Amino acid sequence: MIDLLANGLVQIVQWKYLLPLLLGTVAGVIGGALPGVTITLTIIVVLPFTFGLDPLQGLAAMTGVYVGGSAGGLVTACLLGIPGTPSAIATTFEGFPMARGGQPGRAIWLGVWASFFGGLIGGAFLILVTGPLAKIALAFGPWEYFSLFILAMAMVAGLAEASLLKGVIATAIGLLITVIGTDPIMAVPRFNFGSEFIGAGFPFLPVLIGIFAFAQIMTDIEKMSAPKMAGAAGAAPSLRVAHLKVIGEILSRPFLLLWSSLVGIVIGVLPAIGGSAASVLAYDQAKKFSRRPEKFGSGVPEGIIASESSNNANVGGSLVTIMAFGIPGDAVTAVMLGAMTIHGITSGPLFMVKHSELAYGIYAAYILAHVLMVAVVWVCALFLLRIVNVRLAVLAPVVMTLCVIGAYALNNTMQGVYVLLLFGVIGYVLVKAGFPLAPLILGLILGDQIEINLIRAIMTDDNPWLFVTRPISGGLLLAAATSVGLAVWQHLRHQKKVAAAESEPNF
Amino acid sequence: MDTRRTAIVLAALGTALGLSTVAAAQSQYPERPIKMIVPWAAGGDTDNIFRPFAAELQKQLGQPVVIANVTGASGTAGAREARNSPADGYTLYAVHDYIHLTYYAGISDVKYTDFEPICLVAATPSVLTASPKTPWKSWQDLAEDAKKRPGQITVGATLGSTSHIFPAMIEKASGVKFKYVSYEGLAPRMNAILGGHVDLTDSNLTQKGSVEAGLLKFIAIASEQRTPEAPNVPTLKELGMNIVYEVVRGVMAPKNTPAAVRQRLDQACTKAVTEPAFAASMKAQGTAVAHKNSADYAKFLDKIDGDNKAIMADLNLLKR
Amino acid sequence: MPLGRDGIAGLIAAALGLVLFVQTFAFPQMPLVPVGPGFYPRIVLAAMVLAGAGLALQDWRARRGAGAEAEPLRLSLPGRLVLAGFAIVAAYCALLPVLGYRLATLLFVAIFQAALEWPRQARDWVWLAGVALATTVVTYLMFESYLLVLLPRGSLTGW
Repeated sequence: MIDLLANGLVQIVQWKYLLPLLLGTVAGVIGGALPGVTITLTIIVVLPFTFGLDPLQGLAAMTGVYVGGSAGGLVTACLLGIPGTPSAIATTFEGFPMARGGQPGRAIWLGVWASFFGGLIGGAFLILVTGPLAKIALAFGPWEYFSLFILAMAMVAGLAEASLLKGVIATAIGLLITVIGTDPIMAVPRFNFGSEFIGAGFPFLPVLIGIFAFAQIMTDIEKMSAPKMAGAAGAAPSLRVAHLKVIGEILSRPFLLLWSSLVGIVIGVLPAIGGSAASVLAYDQAKKFSRRPEKFGSGVPEGIIASESSNNANVGGSLVTIMAFGIPGDAVTAVMLGAMTIHGITSGPLFMVKHSELAYGIYAAYILAHVLMVAVVWVCALFLLRIVNVRLAVLAPVVMTLCVIGAYALNNTMQGVYVLLLFGVIGYVLVKAGFPLAPLILGLILGDQIEINLIRAIMTDDNPWLFVTRPISGGLLLAAATSVGLAVWQHLRHQKKVAAAESEPNF
Repeated sequence: MDTRRTAIVLAALGTALGLSTVAAAQSQYPERPIKMIVPWAAGGDTDNIFRPFAAELQKQLGQPVVIANVTGASGTAGAREARNSPADGYTLYAVHDYIHLTYYAGISDVKYTDFEPICLVAATPSVLTASPKTPWKSWQDLAEDAKKRPGQITVGATLGSTSHIFPAMIEKASGVKFKYVSYEGLAPRMNAILGGHVDLTDSNLTQKGSVEAGLLKFIAIASEQRTPEAPNVPTLKELGMNIVYEVVRGVMAPKNTPAAVRQRLDQACTKAVTEPAFAASMKAQGTAVAHKNSADYAKFLDKIDGDNKAIMADLNLLKR
Repeated sequence: MPLGRDGIAGLIAAALGLVLFVQTFAFPQMPLVPVGPGFYPRIVLAAMVLAGAGLALQDWRARRGAGAEAEPLRLSLPGRLVLAGFAIVAAYCALLPVLGYRLATLLFVAIFQAALEWPRQARDWVWLAGVALATTVVTYLMFESYLLVLLPRGSLTGW
């Protein structure tokens, strides 16, 4: 395995792969730093560029975006007090006060180095666990996959902040979108209302790009008319800092670093929870374990270390799930999965065996991306401050153009572009109506697979009890039931406290 | 700079260019990149065969031949897109037997006669493949077991497509009865058969590596003669079943593509398939180069269309 | 009966689910497949109808409980800019196959920029045109020449 990894590293340091990885990392850092541009949006923008590349080039670029994005957000979080990307939410709690307190360099570099170490811990997990997990996955028949998908949906619908019922409706809408078109077994038309446009079904990536890109850009445009946030400090802050001292600060808290990374990994492995939850949860844990919780909020290093190490470790965890089971953990890995499909690569149990070069290439890209991320932030931290102020009027049209190309180039037809537009409108309306988007996307991703595995199970054996009596399948269903039960219990407990407060769109 | 003026200038320029293109189209085809629609995903069997072919065709034509994967609805999305494209020779359509099957199954309204045949490119013989978790060592074991428990041996297949038709022909010839489970595409079928979730499936010689590693078992091949690639695998003919089943892939152009253009493409195709590089890449995919020029391909298409219709009728899947 | 945003959304979801649920019974049964193509959609739609009805009920009860203080339904229309944004993107998508990628994109990027922030000085106009031209040229060259994605040609312009 070590030699495979070494091979992967040797492969990835060729210019052919290093360049896309570097460009991806730069794009990620910039996208992450731009407030209102999420990692999801950045990876959507990068997507069309990967069509003409070879698979590893494309995936290297996307890995770079993912890793770079998780770090880029912290620069904006520390200097402007706005999370550049949702996964940097908790970083603002400590990073901004610390920067305001005259230590912007320390705040940023604590974050960067914590991201670096957290990411590497996540990487070790990724490399050690994916293979064994993939072997177990081969024992997964249609019953187990069906139950696994049910568990994934139960967890995500239950996690929806607004309400469990809205989570269920959003999931159902996602599943419904995959039902429209033709049935997956015999291509019987369903709900096409005689239209050839609907009859072809709605391909997953244009729907995803539409929902996320429009929801994001249009929400940003809406905020444009609102009064501007207080800008950065007038004079460029000095970011000079003693790196060894900062690294020492992090490594002298090994328990905090490991625990936050573990939180990030676990959240990454669980489908569709995402980096923002990892960041907040790890921050919360750090506060609970701290000997001086009352200091939190005034710029303590522990908060930054927890938030940033966990959101980068989260990336490693998500990559495990996508590679071993073919289930994307969040919208970012969903796009990566889509990119693999375009290149004809099926992820899942056989991915490690059939495409081991690619798998180890991704591992290598993941590790190297962390080194590049540090270098990129090093070189352009100050320059980033200028980019952060790019006007939305310029950003929005360019991003939209790339989204349209992405939707078109998927299938080389205008169909994809029309689907993009349609779901852009639908996504925006749903966000306005307060529906969470994460369950919808998971439903959309898993819909086809849930149906086909259900039908396969029935076709293989007409005994429906097999879903419960097969041990893995039964265990997964039990976990799903527990998860829903917990969510309902929590919901009831909180119900009295629920205020009518509007929640932000849930990315 | 005034944007509007720029736009007007650009628009005028564009119109002029557009007109000149139409005028010149007949004289020196091809003069711009050609789009070849592959109705399946990139990296699939069909895509893997047409990518090296496009590279060779491009050398012969002197213009880029760009593969456009138009996927969805069992290959029907690509077929419709190709049918609706202008018949100017700048859109080609890469096709295999599915066009007959989806038409007769009522899935698609596109028929092979909606296109002009250009040439036949390759043929891939089907191989009946068994899971390592099954006890059978040969077809005889399998047939005996199947007769003992009819309708219980599971076959992973894309229903109504080639991977379904092939085992169905074996059922008919040998009098056994299988149970079909829907697994669309070769990759999911391989996952299922390696994990033992289905017993049998249709695959091809690309799986030779897994067989040698003991992860799969080839039972029989549906070619005329044994292949040098896997000399131990008996043909179905040897086993007393008169079945030769190959997935054939060719290139077509939209109806009414000018004859001169078709002739140019036919010539280029003839040269492209004889390139040693192409033969080598086909061999690596368990596929034989099988060339027919447009006239022969047209006759061949008529024949296999009739064959496929008969099979679909036998299987009670005929909807037209 | 007072209903808020959630109540209406729930009712819409339930109604839509119910209509489609009824439709599933018109799907043809296929040979070889033990359950028809309507089997799975019915499960999904049933969940949607129940959750939608539940949401409407929850909202109604919450509002009845709040009594007179319940705020009346306010429909917040999206801002003018957002509507303009959607209209411009829609126009771009519609014109793409007519004008061709290059022309449509040039116009789209220019107009969208102007709509979001009207240029005040000559310098702003130059900047706007520059961004539009650069976006078009760079993406076109990148995709068409380097990445071999053939972008839409205009049916009207042939370009």
